[in-house]
Amino acid sequence: MLDKIIKLLMLTVSLLFCLNGSVFAADVIELNQLVENAEAMDGQTVTVTGEAIGEAMERGDHAWVNINDGTNAMGIWMPLDDAESIRVFGDYKHHGDQLQATGVFNRACAQHGGDVDIHSDSITVVTAGYAAAEAVPTLKIIFGLVLVCLASALGMIYLNVIKKK
Amino acid sequence: MNTFNGRFYSIFIISYYTGYVVLGIALLMVLPILTAVGLQEWNPFWDFIITMAISIILGLLLIIIGKQTRHNKSFVQWKHGFVVASLSWIILMFLCAIPYLLSGHVNSILDACFDVMSGFTTTGMVLTQDLDHISLSLNLWRHMLTFIGGQGMIVLALTFLLKETGGAYIFYVGEAKDIDLVPNVKGTARIIWKISMVYLVIGTVALWIDGLAIGLTPLSAFFNGLFIFASSWSTGGFAPYTQNMMYYHSFSYENLTIIFFILGSLNFGLHYAILSGNKKELLKNIETQSFFISSFLASILAVMWLARTGVYHDAIAMFRRVVYNVLSAHTTTGFGSVYARQFALEWGDFGILILVIVMLIGGSACSTAGGFKGLRVGIIGNSILADVKRLLASERNVKVFRFHHIKDQILSDGLVKAAALIIICYLITFAIGTLIGTYYGYPLASAAFEAASITGNVGLSIGITAPGMPAVMKVYYIIAMYLGRLEFLSVFALIGFIIGGIKKCWTK
Repeated sequence: MLDKIIKLLMLTVSLLFCLNGSVFAADVIELNQLVENAEAMDGQTVTVTGEAIGEAMERGDHAWVNINDGTNAMGIWMPLDDAESIRVFGDYKHHGDQLQATGVFNRACAQHGGDVDIHSDSITVVTAGYAAAEAVPTLKIIFGLVLVCLASALGMIYLNVIKKK
Repeated sequence: MNTFNGRFYSIFIISYYTGYVVLGIALLMVLPILTAVGLQEWNPFWDFIITMAISIILGLLLIIIGKQTRHNKSFVQWKHGFVVASLSWIILMFLCAIPYLLSGHVNSILDACFDVMSGFTTTGMVLTQDLDHISLSLNLWRHMLTFIGGQGMIVLALTFLLKETGGAYIFYVGEAKDIDLVPNVKGTARIIWKISMVYLVIGTVALWIDGLAIGLTPLSAFFNGLFIFASSWSTGGFAPYTQNMMYYHSFSYENLTIIFFILGSLNFGLHYAILSGNKKELLKNIETQSFFISSFLASILAVMWLARTGVYHDAIAMFRRVVYNVLSAHTTTGFGSVYARQFALEWGDFGILILVIVMLIGGSACSTAGGFKGLRVGIIGNSILADVKRLLASERNVKVFRFHHIKDQILSDGLVKAAALIIICYLITFAIGTLIGTYYGYPLASAAFEAASITGNVGLSIGITAPGMPAVMKVYYIIAMYLGRLEFLSVFALIGFIIGGIKKCWTK
């Protein structure tokens, strides 16, 4: 029985390592590292993660999706189907989907007029995006209202004292 | 009727006009407020309400303090125009920084002031963080500041808020916009704003349509079109996203911005002459001649240099990544189609030097562009040629040299001296900026690049300008942007006025 449990544990651990092989932190490179080491990384297959920002820009059967990983932002050229799988894009009211993209890094892409970009082979939504809650502090509202009252009072004085003269 | 008493009447005059400028900018905050309401961005809504209320209170207080000026407008002198312009810019820098600060997207009031001054001066350097998540209303405010700064905000406020603007030319010159398109300043200011607004409509529509074609949604295409036009025309360089022009991945979008930022960098007098039917002015004008010659030479040299490095393989890539940045630098726009660090890593010392030179030269006088201006370069170049001709000519032969700028003008020694003085002031500001950069450990080429970009109100960065850079550099860069935009004289007048005031108090 103990033998079976040990074997099962070993199998489980080895399976875990196999499945997670593609998302080891060491394999994911920061966008800024790509910019800093563009010459060395040019033409290599890289894996990057980042938040999808703005919107997908459709160009025929492909689309541009810009991602920001906190160190920098970069355009990912991906098939339209992949772009359509992204549900939420980051803006003032949203935290966008966190993507993991694997593809070829181009220091000066010949297809896209010398763009620094990544042509993706695969896209995975690692974390789904969500709407950002916006709460206005009460103190800000009170402060704003007091100032508006003061400005209005001064405006009345200005109109009566200066303009009437 | 003279009602001024005492020695300090200048303070009342300055207070009165500065109050109107502050009030004018306060009223402009209605636009981001309406945008915030329309898009239900409630935090920015309150941020702008607070800022507008503070600005109105301060503006009205200044007007009330200087109310005697209403009956003593004949006392307004040149020095008042210069001081109002330079002082208003400082006050507005603090007031307009409030929405940035309240948004939580800047680290400090210093960073907020830096971004506002960058906007006003149409520089386009950014310390605001996480641009991809800022509200549309704050983005509108950023681009409004750069648009208004480019056309001249003092004149805008005074021309439209005051009924009598007989002496308004004084304020005009104070903001480095000394041009008289028609005999009165009100008419000139209105023409400048009319030209800008016509282009604003055309430019926004053009970029909107192109935005739809490149895959933006209709609302996003509209706001992006509006923002990018405002930045292009005012040669500002702000963009709504972190990647600046690289966000759009579009040749057509970049080409449209080239058209608008070149148009924006041309003298308003030239626009007026062409719109009035005098199309030959475009070819005869000393500024357009110097701009096209220097742009062509700089682009050719940069392309030849970068072709050697082998980074870019075809003509389109060369145009989009090299010529675009050279033109953006020369017109002092600051839109970037490469990452800031690529200048340091790929352009090499020669490429950086080319950009430094064109950034310092800048665009045309009385345009939205910065730098020491093509007109002054043309005047100095012509004066050197004239001196050589004088040396070679007979001593008995007295010749008058001329140049063409809107009309034929005599190349007088006074004009040459004035042009040379301003160029020297720019070079000193640039040298100090480079010195400070190297003191803080940045490489010479990078420090010079950033200092040239700041002094010329350009906005391209090599990676130095960042929230983490030393506070001393941020303060110096604010001063350099301010000096560069107001072309020194107004700021010197303000310093002189303050020192004079202190002396008066001391001797009393």
